[in-house]
Amino acid sequence: MSTPILTGPRWVTVRQHRRVLWMLSAVVATSLAGVVALRGWAAYGADLYPSSPDGPLRSAMDVAGIGMLLLPLLVGAFVAGPMVARELESGTYRLALTQSSTPRAWLAAKITVASVAAVACSASLAGVYRLGWMPLNGTYQFHWADRGPYEATGTVIVAYYLLGVAVGALVGQLVRRTIAAMAVTGLATGLVMVVLGALRWSLLPVRTLTTPTAPGVPKLPRDALMMDLGLTTASGGRLPEGACFAHTRSMSQCPPDMNVTGWYVDYHPVTHYWPTQSIETAVVLVLAALAVRGAFAVLRKRHP
Amino acid sequence: MTDDPVIEATGLGVRYARRRGWALRDCSFRLPAHRVCALVGPNGAGKSTLLALAAGLLRPTEGTIGAPPREEMAYVGQDKPLYPQLTVDETLRMGRELNPGRWDAKSAERIVGEGGLDGSVRIRSLSGGQRTRVALALALGKRPRLLLLDEPMADLDPLARHRLMGALMADTADHGTSVVMSSHILAELEGACDHLLLVDGGRVRLSGAVDDLLAAHCLLTGPATAVADLAAHTVVESRTTGRQLTALARPHGTVDADTWQTAEPSLEEILLAHLRSPGAPALALAPATEAVGA
Repeated sequence: MSTPILTGPRWVTVRQHRRVLWMLSAVVATSLAGVVALRGWAAYGADLYPSSPDGPLRSAMDVAGIGMLLLPLLVGAFVAGPMVARELESGTYRLALTQSSTPRAWLAAKITVASVAAVACSASLAGVYRLGWMPLNGTYQFHWADRGPYEATGTVIVAYYLLGVAVGALVGQLVRRTIAAMAVTGLATGLVMVVLGALRWSLLPVRTLTTPTAPGVPKLPRDALMMDLGLTTASGGRLPEGACFAHTRSMSQCPPDMNVTGWYVDYHPVTHYWPTQSIETAVVLVLAALAVRGAFAVLRKRHP
Repeated sequence: MTDDPVIEATGLGVRYARRRGWALRDCSFRLPAHRVCALVGPNGAGKSTLLALAAGLLRPTEGTIGAPPREEMAYVGQDKPLYPQLTVDETLRMGRELNPGRWDAKSAERIVGEGGLDGSVRIRSLSGGQRTRVALALALGKRPRLLLLDEPMADLDPLARHRLMGALMADTADHGTSVVMSSHILAELEGACDHLLLVDGGRVRLSGAVDDLLAAHCLLTGPATAVADLAAHTVVESRTTGRQLTALARPHGTVDADTWQTAEPSLEEILLAHLRSPGAPALALAPATEAVGA
C-alpha cells in the first residue's frame, strides 16, 4: 500500500480507517468461501438430502440479497458518521483544516477512499452473489426482476454504494453529530432505493400481448415479468381480470353485453433487464454527483 | 526584521447565532511579526473565536482579518485535537503527508523525544501533557511563520508547563516564528510574551507592546481631596481607602510629584484594573511606536 497514489490526505484517511477496510475485505472473502461451500453442498449433497439439496444455498442467498441492499446504507452511514461528522463533532477537523493541504483535498480524500472501497467491495460482492445465484436463476424469488437478485446482479448495486458515499459526505457535514448523521444518511439512501425500486418498471414502456378470450389467460414469453393482466373491450377499454368471473363464475366466459374481446397482458421481457439497469444506474449516479457537489458547496461556504 | 503586521484585523465581528449575540464585535488591531503575543481575557471573552478566525476555521460575520496563508500558519486548539486511533509516529507522518515540502521532521521528533514518548503508542492512551507535546510537535514541524496556540498549557502540571514552554520558546526564537497564545491565567505567559492583546466581552481593551503598555500606565497614590487633579489623566480605576486614593491611570503630561506618589504597575495590575472597570476606555498602542523601542 505504499504506492505514490496513497499520499497526503489520502494516506491519512486510509490510516484512520484501515480497520474498516480490512473488515470489508474479510466480508468479501468470507462470503466467497460461504457461497462456494453452499454450491458444493447443492451439487453433491443430493444423496444426503434428496428432497432439497439447494435449501441451504437458497436460504443463504435470500439473506445475501437483503444484505446487498442494506450495505449501501451502512457504507453511507459510515462515511457520514465516523468519517465526516465525527471530525466535526470531536473538533479534529480543526487539526485537518489547518494543515497545508486544502479543505477541498481533505473532503476529496474521504470521498475518493470511500468510493474506491465501495466500488471494489460492491463489485466483488456482486460477483460472489452472482456465483451463488446462478444455479437458482429463474426459480421462486430468484427471478431476474425480483428485489435482491435484480440489484445484486447488475450495475445498480455499485451505483447505490456510491450514492451512499455521496449522501454521507453531504449529510455528515450538515448534521454534525455522528449518530444522527449516520441515521439520516441511512434513511435518505434507503428512501432513494425504495422510490427508485417502485419506479423501476415504469422507466421503459411495457410490451402488451392480446389473445382471444377462449382458451384462457395468455401465455407469457419465458422469463417475462408480468406487470398487468386484464380484459379488453370492443371500445378499446380495459377491465380487471376478474370482471367476467363476477358475473359468470368463469374467468373466460363473459356476458355478451360487456363486449369483451379478449385478454391483454402487460409485461417486461428479459431483454429489458440491461436497459432498465442502465437507466437506473445513470439516475443514481446523477443523484450521487449532485450530493457530492452539494458536499463541496457546503465545505466551500464554511472554509473558503 | 520587518514591521509588517502578521495579523491585521479591521472592524472584526462574529455572531454564532442570532439569539446569542456577538462573540466578538468591532475588533481592530495589528499584531507585529516575530513577536510572542499574549491574548488574554476572562473565560468567554472571545479569545478562542479570535484564534479560530486567524486560523481561517471561522468566517467573520463582519469586518476582515488578514493572516498568513494556511501553509505558513499552525494552530493548536484548546482541546489539542489529534486522531486518537493513530500512533505518535503516525501522527508525525501525517504532519509530513499534509505539509509536503515544509515538514521539519527533526524539530518535531525532538519535541516528542524530549517528552520521552514512545512512537508506537496510540494518541488515545496519552496523558493530557503528552497530547499537548504531540500537538505542539505537529504544529512546529510545519515550520510556520505564525503559530496560534489556544490555551496551550491549560491542562498541564507546573513542571510540564515549564518544560514545554521552554521547548516552545527555544524553537520559535530560533526560527523567528510569530506566536499568538491565549490564556486566562496571565502568570502562564508573563515573562514569555512581548506583546499583549486584552480581549474582554468580545472587544479589544488593550493592545500593544508589553513595555509600552507598562510605560503608558502609572499607579498614583495621593490624598482623596486631590481627586480633581486626576481629570487631566485617563483614570482606569480608582479606589479610596480612608483619606488615601489609589488610581491606575494613563498620565497625560506631568503628574504633580508633590501631591502624588507614582509607581510603575505590574502587567497583572494593569490587566486586573481593566477587567474590574469595564467602562475604562480602550487603548491601542500602534506597532510603530514599539518598533522604535525594539
